[in-house]
Formats: sequence, structure tokens, C-alpha cells
Amino acid sequence: MDRETLRRLELLNQLKLTEEQKEEITAFFDCREKDLAVLNAIDTSQTERQVHVMPIMTVVREDIASQPFTVEELQKGAPDTDQGYWCVPRVVE
Amino acid sequence: MNFYTAKADTAAERRVAVDDMILTKTMPTAAGSRMLDGYMSLFDAEVITRLENAGYAIAGKTDVGEFAIDLVGETSYHGAGTENGTLLSASAEAIKSGDVPAVVCFDVNGSVCRAAAQNGLVSVKPTYGTVSRYGTIPAACSGETVSVMADSTAKCREILDVLAGHDDKDGTSLSEEQCALVKTAAAKPAAKVAVLTNFCEAVDDAVSAKLDAAKAALTAQGVEICEIADEKIAAARAAWNILMCSELCNNVSRYDGVKYGYRTQNFTNIDELYTNSRTEAFGELLKTAILFGSDNLSTENYMKVYDKALRIRRVVCEAFEELFKAYDAVLLPACSRLAYTEAETKADKYLAFEENQYTAPASITGLPAVTAGSVQLIGSMFSENMLFETAKLLAKEGE
Repeated sequence: MDRETLRRLELLNQLKLTEEQKEEITAFFDCREKDLAVLNAIDTSQTERQVHVMPIMTVVREDIASQPFTVEELQKGAPDTDQGYWCVPRVVE
Repeated sequence: MNFYTAKADTAAERRVAVDDMILTKTMPTAAGSRMLDGYMSLFDAEVITRLENAGYAIAGKTDVGEFAIDLVGETSYHGAGTENGTLLSASAEAIKSGDVPAVVCFDVNGSVCRAAAQNGLVSVKPTYGTVSRYGTIPAACSGETVSVMADSTAKCREILDVLAGHDDKDGTSLSEEQCALVKTAAAKPAAKVAVLTNFCEAVDDAVSAKLDAAKAALTAQGVEICEIADEKIAAARAAWNILMCSELCNNVSRYDGVKYGYRTQNFTNIDELYTNSRTEAFGELLKTAILFGSDNLSTENYMKVYDKALRIRRVVCEAFEELFKAYDAVLLPACSRLAYTEAETKADKYLAFEENQYTAPASITGLPAVTAGSVQLIGSMFSENMLFETAKLLAKEGE
């Protein structure tokens, strides 16, 4: 794991790490190589991937409009709101 | 440790706590994270509705580690519960102290199983899809399961019977007929149990003694014990870590400090708002898991890492299927030691991603697992009744 890749991951995930955290996480990533070796020791060339543990059927419901919650209820936990809107800093300069 | 007491007038045996990954309308749900500190859900999880409809009172909530991916809850925003340097599980403490006989927990990375094993309690992680996940905080959706920890096998079974059932609101919920098997499948103990020896090598003397006691108890009750090694099942840990972190990375991307949850005070633009909110609110283990998961899903690694882990999931499932042709259940440890210290987790921050080697086989396959007598039994799909009956033999011997 090089620092440039780590920086890219930080940006992608909207996180900022301290130098100490970067070192620890780099060491953790390096351990993954050992884990990958364990997995690669098992031949899966003839094995299909398994996304779900059980067969999953797509749930289809009737398209019926409803309003389980009001705007006020949905915004109760919001850090900053104004007249039914969520407030964020200016996006367009 | 948080424990909010409510409805104290309900009879003690009808009081149940739920952990902090399960949404409750009348009590806050934080998932052990600063991000959701004080968060009040607008609705109850399906398991809450089922418990209340069956006459149980939700007596309180127990704290969890951040998004329940740690050992036993030590990464909670509220701080690790400890006694003389030993880590405590809030759910196990709620039962041991006599506050409640059972706690409904959310098992993402084996913390429920480990806590039960380390505290001499019973837990069940049911077959994936038999208990609704509607109203739980999503972390690693393809393997996480609502579970039960209790003071006895009977209590564990009683609560699971209330929770199991089809739910239209959960897209991964199995049919009513399949869910019913959790309650109606043949209730007789295993005749043949396989001990996975390669999982027993790195455990300490105390866990080793528990395994020996379990084997002796089962043998005394006429259960045939066979020792086998299976390298394919042992690969579950590495694969589960990849899948869990990848799913977690996506699931926590919704927390950005805008619609709900923690918002930083330190921002001048939208990027700073997102980044500083997440950086200040998330703990170190979660940040590592997010970055690891994100890297697994990158263009460079998707086929090499993520796709490989999905194929290994099938390999592990098939290895179990093969085992269950000859054996009724598999016995293995739930953890490498009967207690974790705070010092250990400070020295090795990623211990949870090693210790889950014992719980990853059940997580990645969705198979049911019962922990009793400080050891773990895994059975085929819908074999909860058989696992409970086998676990009772362990308890009987203990008495």
C-alpha cells in the first residue's frame, strides 16, 4: 500500500487520517497479502461466485403512493434545516 | 456501557433488552458511534414489534462496539466497558447482572458469539433470512443476523421462536414455510459431531479445557465425536473480512453530516463538512474497515480480491454441505481465549479481524450457530432445534 493510493482512498471515502493512523493502516493492508495468499491457494477457477447465502427473490410491491412520515418528522434528526430544506454550505460559487 | 431501563413493571421473565444496532422509536440508537449519538428512529425494528406483540417489554438497550464489527464492544463511542482491565460485553453484563434474561443482538462480526462464550451464556445466530433485519442498522448485509443471547438454552429458543418469521419489509427474508422450520424442525440432539481440529490449535488452555469438556459431555451422552481438519472452511476469515469491509464501506457512506447524525463545527465548504464530520465521528477500526473495503472494490482489486472472496464463500458453503452429509453438527471454539484485555486491543487494534476466524464460517455461509458451554456448534440450514438440543447436553454435563 503506497501513500498515493492511501491518499486516494481517503479522498474517495471523505476521511482524513493522522500520520500515526496512516502507518497503522498501511501495516494492516500489508497483512492482506498473506490473506490473499490463503485464498489464492484454493482453486476457484471452476467455482461460481456466491453473492447471497440463500436464493433471493426480488421483492415487488404495488406502486402505491403513501406518506409514512412528514417532512418535519424526517428532519427531526438533521443537524441544520430551514423551511423543510437541509442546510449545507454554498455548493456553487 | 449504556442501559436505559423502561417498563420496569413487566414481569422479570418477560423483560428483554436489545442492543444498540436495533432501531427503537422510544430510545436512542447510536450503533456505538459518535456519528449517531442521540439518534432517535421514527420507527421500531420488526423484531421490536414482534417482541411487544408477544407480550415482552423492551427493558433497555445495551451498548455495542462501533457498527458491531469489533470483539465485544470495546470500540463504542461511549468507551469500553472494563473490569480490572478485562473487556466486558454490555449485553452479557445485562444478563449476568439479572437485569434481563435475554438480549436481542445484531451479529455482524461474531461479537455476540464471543461474548456468550466468554461469559458462560447461550447465544443463537439463526439461519440467515429467518429473522427480519428490517429496522437494524446495516453494516455487512450479506452475513449479519439478528441473534439472541440468554441465560439458558430454553430462553434463547423461546425468544428466537418469537422473532423468526417472514417479513415483507426485508428483501432477504425467507418464506414463512422456511422460517417456520426454525421452530418446527426435529428437536433431537446431534448423533455425530465433527470437531474442526485446525480451529482448535491457536486457542489458550482455558478454551482448550472447554472444548475437552464439551467433547466429553457429548460423548457421555452417546454422541459420536470425530476430529477432522478442513482448510477450506479455515479460509472463511480472510474472505469474510473482505466481504464485510466492502459492504460496510458502502453502508456507512450515507453518514455525511447532512440529513442526520453528527455534523462537524469545523467547515467552510461542503467537502470539509463531509470529510470533517466523518473523520471526527468515526473511530479508528471503522475507518480502517472503510478504507480496506473501498480498496477491495476498486477497479484494480475487484476481480483479484472481492470476486475471489465471493467464490471462496461458495467453497466454504460447499465444504459445510459435504460435512453435513456425514455429521449433524460441527464443533469449534467461539474465540481463542475466555477474556480479552484492554491492553491487548490497544496493542493490536485489528484483533477483531483475527479473532473472527471462529465466527466467520457461520457469518459467511448464513448457517445457524449456537454457543453454549463456551464452545460453538454450527449446523445445516434450519437446524436450530437440533443445535439447541445438542447444546442442552453440554449444559446438562455442566450441572
